[in-house]
Formats: sequence, C-alpha cells, structure tokens
Amino acid sequence: MISLQRVSARAGGFTLSDVSFDVPDGGYGVVIGPAGSGKTTLLETIAGVIRPTSGRILLGGRDVTIAPPEARRLGIVYQHAYLFPHLDVRANIAYGAADDESAADMSDRFGVTAMADRAVEALSGGERQLVAMARALARRPGVLLLDEPFSALDPRTRATARRIVRALHQERRFTVLQVTHDFAEAGLLGDVAIMLDRGRVVQQGEPAEVFRKPASPYIADFLGAENVFAGTAHEIRAETSDLVGGADRDVTQHAIAFTTGALTFYALGDAVDGTTHAVIRAEEISISAEPSTSSVQNQFRGHIVEIVSAGALSRVTIDASGTPIVAAITARSVRELRLAPGMEVVAGFKATAVHLC
Amino acid sequence: MAQFDGSKLESVEPTRSRPAANAVATILVAVASSLFLLFMLGPIVGLVSAGGARGISSLATDHELRSALLLTAGTATVATLLGIVGATPLAYLLARRSFRGRAVVSALMDLPLVIPHPVAGIALLLVLGRGSPVGGALYSAGLRVASSPTGIVCAMLFVSAPLYVSAAREAFARVDARYESVARTLGDDAWRAFRRVTLPLSSRGLTAAAVVMWARAVSEFGAIVILTYNPKVVSVLSYDRFTSYGLSEALPVAAVLVLFALIPLAALRALRSGEPLRR
Repeated sequence: MISLQRVSARAGGFTLSDVSFDVPDGGYGVVIGPAGSGKTTLLETIAGVIRPTSGRILLGGRDVTIAPPEARRLGIVYQHAYLFPHLDVRANIAYGAADDESAADMSDRFGVTAMADRAVEALSGGERQLVAMARALARRPGVLLLDEPFSALDPRTRATARRIVRALHQERRFTVLQVTHDFAEAGLLGDVAIMLDRGRVVQQGEPAEVFRKPASPYIADFLGAENVFAGTAHEIRAETSDLVGGADRDVTQHAIAFTTGALTFYALGDAVDGTTHAVIRAEEISISAEPSTSSVQNQFRGHIVEIVSAGALSRVTIDASGTPIVAAITARSVRELRLAPGMEVVAGFKATAVHLC
Repeated sequence: MAQFDGSKLESVEPTRSRPAANAVATILVAVASSLFLLFMLGPIVGLVSAGGARGISSLATDHELRSALLLTAGTATVATLLGIVGATPLAYLLARRSFRGRAVVSALMDLPLVIPHPVAGIALLLVLGRGSPVGGALYSAGLRVASSPTGIVCAMLFVSAPLYVSAAREAFARVDARYESVARTLGDDAWRAFRRVTLPLSSRGLTAAAVVMWARAVSEFGAIVILTYNPKVVSVLSYDRFTSYGLSEALPVAAVLVLFALIPLAALRALRSGEPLRR
C-alpha cells in the first residue's frame, strides 16, 4: 500500500502541497497531470530521493517518511531509462537484483536476454526502457514507481511493455504508482487515478469516475472532454427514488436545467450551488436526421460545421444556435446518414450524460 | 529579357560576395592565431632548443638538479594525493547539495587563484611558520613545516587544490544525479552508490582534475619560495641559478622543467582524446 498523508515537498522549481492519497496493497495507481504539475517530484518524494518538508509517507503500512531510499523496498523507472552507462545490460539488471534467478527471469520476461552482453549505448530507446523495467523488478520491490515509462516508446513496444508490467503486477501483486499524461493509459491500467495540478491533488477516484465526472472544467479539458460548457444551473424540482431506482433517501437527485448561450440542457445532479460548467463526452452524443421520440431529453437542431475522421470513429461538430456540440460517432453512421458539412441534423443526449461541475 | 537578367544578377550578387568576405575573415583569423601561437610558443621552443640538450645531459652529472626534480615530483604527488582525499568530498558537496553558504564556500575556494602567489606564501608562513601558534605546536611535535618538504607540499596544496575542486565539481555535475537515485532504490546506501555509480562515471574528469592539480603544483614558485627556499624544487633552483650564475646556467634547469611539464600535458591529451563527444 502507498499512503500519503498531507505530504509537502520542494525540489528545484517544483512543490507538492498537502498531498494525500492511498493506493491499496497490490493496487495500480495512476497520477495524471500536465507538465510541471509535480508528478516526478511526487514519485521522488515517495522514493525517498526528496525529503518531504511535512506530512507522512507509509509504504506497506510502515512509516518511511525519513527512511533512506534503499530501505523502502521500491523500484523507480524514469522516462529516460538511466541505465548505468559503464555497465552492460546483464550487469545493469543484476545491479540490485534479489538473486541471479530473479535477474535472469526478468531478462526473459522483458525479452532482453539476447542483448545481455551489449553496452547500453548500443540499445534503442525502447530496449533501454525494457532493460530499466527488468532492472527495477529484478529486485522484487513491494512498490513500483513508474515515471511515464512508456511515453517514449513506439506503439508496438509500448503495448508489449504495458502487457508485461500488467501481467507481472497481477502475478506478484506489488503496488504500482505510475505517472502519465495519457488518460487512456490511466483508464487502461489503473485502479485509482490521482489528478495533480500545480503540486496539489485536485481529484482522485476510480479512473472511469474521474473520466466521467471530472471535478472541474480544467480537469475535463485536460482529460480531453470535447464538450465543456460554461453557464448557469437552476433546479427544476426535487425528484426522489423513482428516477434513479431504489428507495434510498440518500440517492436524491435533482432535475436541473443548465443554460449555456441559447441552449438549455436537462441534467441530473445533487447540488446546484457553485455549478458553473456542464461536461458531456462526445461519445455520449448521438446524431439523427430528425428529432426522435425517445427517452433522450436533450435534442438540439443545428448545422454540421466539420467532420473529422480518425479510423472507425468520426468527430462531428454541430453548430446549435451558436453553441458548438461535438459528437463522436462511427464512420459507418456518417456514411449511412450521409452526413456532410452544412447539413441540418439533430444532436441528442440523455440528461444522465450531462456532468455538472 | 533585360529585366529577367537583372533579377538574376541581383540574386547572384550576395552569394558571390559571401565567399570573398569569408576568405578575408579566414585570413584575419589565421594571422591573429598564428601571431598568438608564435608569442606563446616562441619562448618555450627557444628555451628548449637552447638548453634542452644540455639540461638532459646535465641530469647525469648535476646532482642538485636531479634531487630537485625528484623533490618536485614527490612533493607535487603528495600534495595532489592530499588534495584528492581532502577536496573530493567538498567538490561532491558543491556539485550535488544545496546548502547555506555554498556560494561563499565556492568563492573562498577561488581566492587562492586570484591572490599573487608570494602573498599566499606569506599567509601560509604566518600560520605555519615556527613563530605562529600552529607552526610552533607542530614544530614542538617534531613536524617542521617551513624550510622543509612539508612546507613545499603545503604551498603546492594551497595554490593548486582550488583547480582540483573546480574541475572535480564539474566532473561530478556532469553525472546526472538520477543515476544515484536509481542506485539508491536498487539497494545501495549513499557511499555504495557513490562508489559503484558516480565514481566510475566521473573518473575520467576526476583524473583530469588531479593531473591539472599536479601540473600546477610542479610549476609553483611564488608561494614555495617564501615558505621553503631550501630544499629547492626545480622552479626555485632555476631562479637560484639565474640570480647566482646568470642566464646561461639557468637555461638547462629551466628547459628540464619545461620538458617535465610535458608529462601531465600529454596525460591530459590522452585522457581527453578518449572522451566521447558531448551531445
């Protein structure tokens, strides 16, 4: 388990302020944040390379706040492999290995046994990264810290490396904390997502939850939500259980009207105060030629401004009374509906697809 | 047609004038560099050609020159070893850690480089001479500093160690601190990570730093002559022969010193030729 309790630290120009989160034993935590948000500082503070100025760090239930890095039973892999240039591949992997067998096993798992005698200068970037991961895991750490280890890899090596790390993680149940700026990667790998901005945790939770319900327009924008609207919310009336199913009084949801520009969305939420933005993922928006009689509460007529195709998916931008709405639909739908710029269509989404923040 | 030719000329003109300007610049650079090299090398070449052969042959007969050479090499080596032991940790601290007063320590380390060397000798004599509390205490403990090889070592150390600190600090700074961080997470304590990773990665730079220090120690005169005139190192001997017997007697000694100084110079060249090109 990785547990940070109100940790603050400073290194160079980066600071961490009051950072708290938990990654359960054997869990896979993902730290997401823009460049300069303090992600590497966070990993190095957990590793013991940077001494925190306040707060507590617990690894596997043990307080390691002032323990040196070598006493923390963890491995770190940076974006640049930092293989020791004066040692060959074999010696790098064996450097901190628990035993010879572990070093040989990790060489095999990461597919680098054939290059064991090579100098590290002779390796490609992807090969170096695989060796760095084998080196960190040959020690059999309880905690693995990964600082964007896949970002410099070509797509094929990236997929391979991810697969190996995931398989090892499931097999050995060590705890992982990985830094990434790629939310797709976080959703793919993580149990817990921690969103960092300017040294502070701005949101944490299950990746799917963070993805679907970003805590702020900033996070929504960073996570790549296409439809982020600024506006005002008004409660229509309180509706209990019948809307959400079940008789639990705690799941009271309010029907809310959210006005942005000339449009008003119907949404559900538990509070109106302070709501200034509505977020709708492009995947939640459908396009039809005519308004449909269905459960879809929000339907807006508009003109297609642009269609951008990326493989099987197309992003269609519709101008609905001056408000741009982006829908992600299949290329097949684009063909079948014969969509083209300038065409009048109806964009629709359910009230439950609107996330207010 | 004429217009077409005109535009063609315009586009050709600048490219035609550029080689001419380049040629002038090349000539100016070549002349300036040659004159500078001549000024720097002329006296040395003159000295070696006038006294080199006599110097080498006098090595067999001139007992005083031979012992001065041995004394110079020995004291410079001891000073360098002391510098390595004493100044390497400081150089590492200056390269790696940020601490209060780091800038002040850095500035103080450069001080011996900017003060005239006889002044450094006077300062050393003040602290280590027999009349001073420290020098007096050392003398009664049986260690004579002034007018002894110990004094030569002290003078050499004082004036040449700052060069070592500065070069060693640079050598450490060139090794990314994250190599050490990785080694620490792989189970090394600070000393082991230094020994297994930082030291091998900075060894070439540290060796070059030691060679520079040794060369500077060998060529020192000003501080040594104040602290220890006798026994004589080669630089003091050449000065002594010049003042006592004139130029002709000083020439062989001076030429031998120049040839002697070529050893570290060659070592440095060899070290640098093996260095990979910096990206």
